[in-house]
Amino acid sequence: MGETQEALQFITDQARRLLTEQATPERLKALLDEAGGFDRELWTKTAELGWCAAAIPEEQGGIGLGWEALCQLSEVLGEFTVSLPLLPNTLLANTLIAAGEGDGDVCTRLLSGEAVATLAITDRGAAGIPAAPAARFGDGRLSGAKAVAPFAAVADFALVSASADDGVAILLVDLGAEGVTREVVNVIDNGRAMAQLSFANTPATRLDGGEGARLLSQLACAAAVVTAFEQVGGARIALDMAVAYAKERKVFGQAIGAFQAIKHNLANMYASIEVARGCALDAMAQLEAGSPALVPYAAAARVGASKAYDFAGKECIQIHGGIGATWEYMPHHYYRRARSLALELGAPSYWRDLLVDNVHMMAEGY
Amino acid sequence: MSNAEERDHLDDYLKNARAWLAEHAPKYSGAARKGLTLAQDRDLGRQWQTLKSEAGYAAITLPREYGGGGGSEAEKIIFANEEAKYDLPVEYFGVSLGMPVPMLLKYGTPEVVADLVPKAIRGEQIWCQLFSEPAAGSDLAAVTTKATPDGDGWRINGQKLWTTWAQFSDWGVAVVRTDPNVAKHAGLTYFYVDMHAPGVEVRPIRKLAGESEINEVFFNDVYIPDSYRMGPVGGGFKVAIETLMIERYSVSSETMGGVGVDYLLKLATEATINGRPAIEDGEVRAFLADTVIERQGLRNIFRRAMEDIAHGREPGPEGSIRKLLMSVRRQNLALLAMDVLGPQALIHRAGGDAQADATLAWIESAPYRIAGGSDEILRNTVAEKVLGLPQDHRPDKGIPFNKIG
Repeated sequence: MGETQEALQFITDQARRLLTEQATPERLKALLDEAGGFDRELWTKTAELGWCAAAIPEEQGGIGLGWEALCQLSEVLGEFTVSLPLLPNTLLANTLIAAGEGDGDVCTRLLSGEAVATLAITDRGAAGIPAAPAARFGDGRLSGAKAVAPFAAVADFALVSASADDGVAILLVDLGAEGVTREVVNVIDNGRAMAQLSFANTPATRLDGGEGARLLSQLACAAAVVTAFEQVGGARIALDMAVAYAKERKVFGQAIGAFQAIKHNLANMYASIEVARGCALDAMAQLEAGSPALVPYAAAARVGASKAYDFAGKECIQIHGGIGATWEYMPHHYYRRARSLALELGAPSYWRDLLVDNVHMMAEGY
Repeated sequence: MSNAEERDHLDDYLKNARAWLAEHAPKYSGAARKGLTLAQDRDLGRQWQTLKSEAGYAAITLPREYGGGGGSEAEKIIFANEEAKYDLPVEYFGVSLGMPVPMLLKYGTPEVVADLVPKAIRGEQIWCQLFSEPAAGSDLAAVTTKATPDGDGWRINGQKLWTTWAQFSDWGVAVVRTDPNVAKHAGLTYFYVDMHAPGVEVRPIRKLAGESEINEVFFNDVYIPDSYRMGPVGGGFKVAIETLMIERYSVSSETMGGVGVDYLLKLATEATINGRPAIEDGEVRAFLADTVIERQGLRNIFRRAMEDIAHGREPGPEGSIRKLLMSVRRQNLALLAMDVLGPQALIHRAGGDAQADATLAWIESAPYRIAGGSDEILRNTVAEKVLGLPQDHRPDKGIPFNKIG
């Protein structure tokens, strides 16, 4: 095992240990019960362990473990249905670094976890990620509304897409600035710290260097790949819970897991999760390599993982029977999280479209 | 070898295999096979097999002294993948070299191995596997073909079914019942048999698409010496399972010989549905996306398994979903492609290439979901072996075979 692999193993083992201890059902349920729920205490703890800087290069003040670290940590978060803004913090920090702002105060605070970021690239009334966002940017000011976004309820900074005269603009917005409205709304998965943001003549800093469309696609794809791991992690636990219950629960004199209607459903869940994992791993390799063909791989990972998680989430409840549909049991956390992750970055139907349009970019053969 | 050295070695191996195939394969594939009878095609295959054996590309994992390649599992998979890109007459030797011959290497006497294994590897002789019966398919241990002691040997009576290439086979391996008074798994014994012996009768079966590689085989008082026994009396089920485990990672084209993503994509771009390009149809797009996702996921699983095999590690259990997904996909993809083609897709061009003909791909696809583990059995296998769920209820468990109702 190489040094990086050992460090990755260390950080994910540490993450599983910590979350086993911290992510108790009581705590997760409390978060679900209030709109905009966020576990600030856990965030601070993990920030101290360097999780939000794991993927950032060492020369930029990070730990230098690459996208793989963020992907693996996200998988662990997914397993525990824990929501921490590792992804938006990394994406915003990366974007700032690329824009030459890596030494600034914002980037430093994002990497230390002192500040929280949110990614606001979806619009109200649009299923996907709009190439021409409804929000407008001009003369250093942003106006308009974005769709509900995770961590927007607690974020200090937002990475926002908007339309400018010369095309898409990617903006850094200080959410403490004038004209920002943050509406915390009740959602199906309140553990995501969701809010919908709108801006009225809010000061914003452009970060795309005139390459807004390319940067938007890059951000969306990177987010899709990392999120795919979170989805696979969650789906896998939903499957594990269903398997464990199917072995233990007896009806008509035998464990329900002996019935083919149950067994085959579980086998199908397993198959869809392993397909999704394969897609996610290949997409991660493309992301890590900075491949120009990232779009279809990211789209395959996103759609595959969204489908696998939705499938595992709903069948996990089904296999549990009535008890699976209670507040007390855990399956509904996964059922909710599956839907939330499937929609936050634009619906699977949007990504499916991207996949079909770009399938020719994928490698031939193995 | 270090990881890097191993990778370099396999890269070189791939390069050489590609060059060798580019030089030799065209003379034995595609147009060279057009218009041949099945027997002529088999003979062309024998020549190809001999050529491969001389170059070390036949039975790559078997010892060089018998005409094999003396190579690794990884090399075998790499070569098979490249070879599958040509339409070569290799199907006659798949079963032969895949299962019976490795078993013979393990259980045969040195003299028998030295005599028969090289002939099989060079394609001069073909072996078949006599497992399934009319009432024993998924439930292999239910076989009723029996062997009764006769002097120094055994007399075999009964019927085998779905035996691939039995009509061309010189030898076969068979699982038969030697003791009906014990539980069904315990009363079986594994033998090899001479397919030219008196009393062996082979009848080809015409499959739904007209192909006839499968047969029923009747044994009428067929005598075999006890030296043809492989493993102990009563140990046949264990040996049979060993046989089925040999092919750790089955190699086949991604489309299982049917039409694939590229075919459907091209078709959907050219065809129209009610005046609009078929590629804009929601069902077509959704199916294409699903297919690409599944293909990508399985490619990754395959590559990881290759890595594991190359480093002598057991591949993960996720490979067990491959055959299930690919055979279901093959059928559905062909069906949708036919929808896009419309009524003209009803024209059946027998003898064509199913990789370029949706109709052929569709009609031939049905048995792929049954042979080598039906969808249902494969889902059971994933559920039981991978997820650890309980076995199905088996009312015949532990009951002597002759008492099962």
